[in-house]
This record gives sequence, C-alpha cells and structure tokens, in this order.
Amino acid sequence: MTFTGLLGRMGMFPMQLIIDTCVRLRIHPNVLTLAGLVINGAAAGALALGHFVTAGFIMGIANIFDFIDGKVAHQLKAVSVFGGFWDSVIDRFSDIALFIGLIYLYSRLGRTDYVMITALAMMFAIMTSYTRARAESLIAKCKVGFMERPERIVLFLIGAFTNRMAAVMWVIGVLSVFTVADRIIYTYRELRDREQVVV
Amino acid sequence: MKRAATLPARILWNAFFWTYERATWQYDLMVIAILAFVWLTPPDWLNDPMATGGGPVAWIRRLMMAD
Repeated sequence: MTFTGLLGRMGMFPMQLIIDTCVRLRIHPNVLTLAGLVINGAAAGALALGHFVTAGFIMGIANIFDFIDGKVAHQLKAVSVFGGFWDSVIDRFSDIALFIGLIYLYSRLGRTDYVMITALAMMFAIMTSYTRARAESLIAKCKVGFMERPERIVLFLIGAFTNRMAAVMWVIGVLSVFTVADRIIYTYRELRDREQVVV
Repeated sequence: MKRAATLPARILWNAFFWTYERATWQYDLMVIAILAFVWLTPPDWLNDPMATGGGPVAWIRRLMMAD
C-alpha cells in the first residue's frame, strides 16, 4: 500500500462516525454542502486577517462537510442530479472564497506580486474544473492532470498550518496550469481520434 | 542508445501529462516532491509575505558552519 493510500484509510475511520451521525439525524446532503460553503467563508475571513492556523482549523471542519455530503446522500438514498450540480457549484464558491481571502491579505500587505500569483492560481484552479466539465460534455471522461480539488484543499491546509502559503500558491498555480493544459490536450486527442474514426 | 535518450524525456512527459490515479507510487512520488518544495524552500527565496528566514536550508548551513 502507498503512504497516501494509508493516510486516506486512517482518515476514513473518524469520517465514517460523522457520516453515520448525519445519516441518523437525516441531515439533507444539500444542507451539508451549503454548511461547508458558509464555514469556508469563515476560513477565508481568517486567511484575510492573516490568522493562518485558525483558518486551517476552520478549513478542516468545512472540508469534512464537503467530503461527507456525497456519502450521506448515498446512505440516505438522496442522490439526485441536482445534488451533483449543487455540490459542484458550491465547491467553486468555496474555492474562490479561500483565494479571495488570501488576495485580500496580500493586497493589505501591499504585496502586488502575491496578489497576482494568487489571482493566477485562482484562475487556473477554476479553469481546471471548467475544462473537465466542458470536456465531459463532448467526451466520456476527462480525468487527467494532477491538481484537482482534494489536492488543492490539502495544500491549503498544509500552507495554513505550517505558514508556507506562498510556496503553496506557487505549487497550486504551476500545477493547475499543467492540469488545464493536460485536459485541453487530452480532449483534443480524443476528439481528433473520434473524427478519424468517423472519416 | 535511443532508449537511454528517450527515458528522461518520457519521465518528464509523464509528470507533465499526468494520468496516474491517487494512491499509486507515482502519486506518492509527486506528493513527496511537492512537500519537499513547500517545506524545504526558504521563505526568503520566495519573498513570502507572511514567513521569513532561510528555512531548513539555513539550519543545515548553520550546522555545517558550526562543525
């Protein structure tokens, strides 16, 4: 087993307890999704004030909600097409909120360089989701590229808890550029191959 | 000869054009590389607005100077 796989399994145990509690209380998964956004908004506020450790704890709680909503939906048999759409939209708002918190902080500190780096990282993080969504309206699947949402969340947590947010912004920015490029190349190849078969 | 010349290029291409799943050894390797960059790069090198100092590189240099 790989070490990231082991960490995932270890994290699953407390998560299962929370999922079971939500199922027992019959909390609707869409409410959990929205709660995640509200808590992420608070995390963005803490980031904006430069309270990284506090932001890290709040992000940790918010992401529990993000993680469990789909699982609770399955267990409550409340899976719906709208639920999937709602989850994706709210996730984008949560992503943007965290980046805006950092942009506010760096702008307050007069650091135009990091305002730009964070804004670019935000742009490519959003484009990562958009390219996949748009590609999957044309081809069956477009799940290539490294920097997806779970990776971004873990990096935000690492940056917040260890005060290395600048390095994290560089990593998210650069790897998101590669991820967007991967998705464009992959979609181009898939569509080209499909056209060749038709011809 | 040709194989030796193309291997680094293939590794670079596979790192750039990422198609590996999570919990594979390639994923672990990428995670280690990212964590190394985040934690080992001195904040001063990146002009970090919120952190200062030379990071682990400075500690190692200080240790070597002390010897």
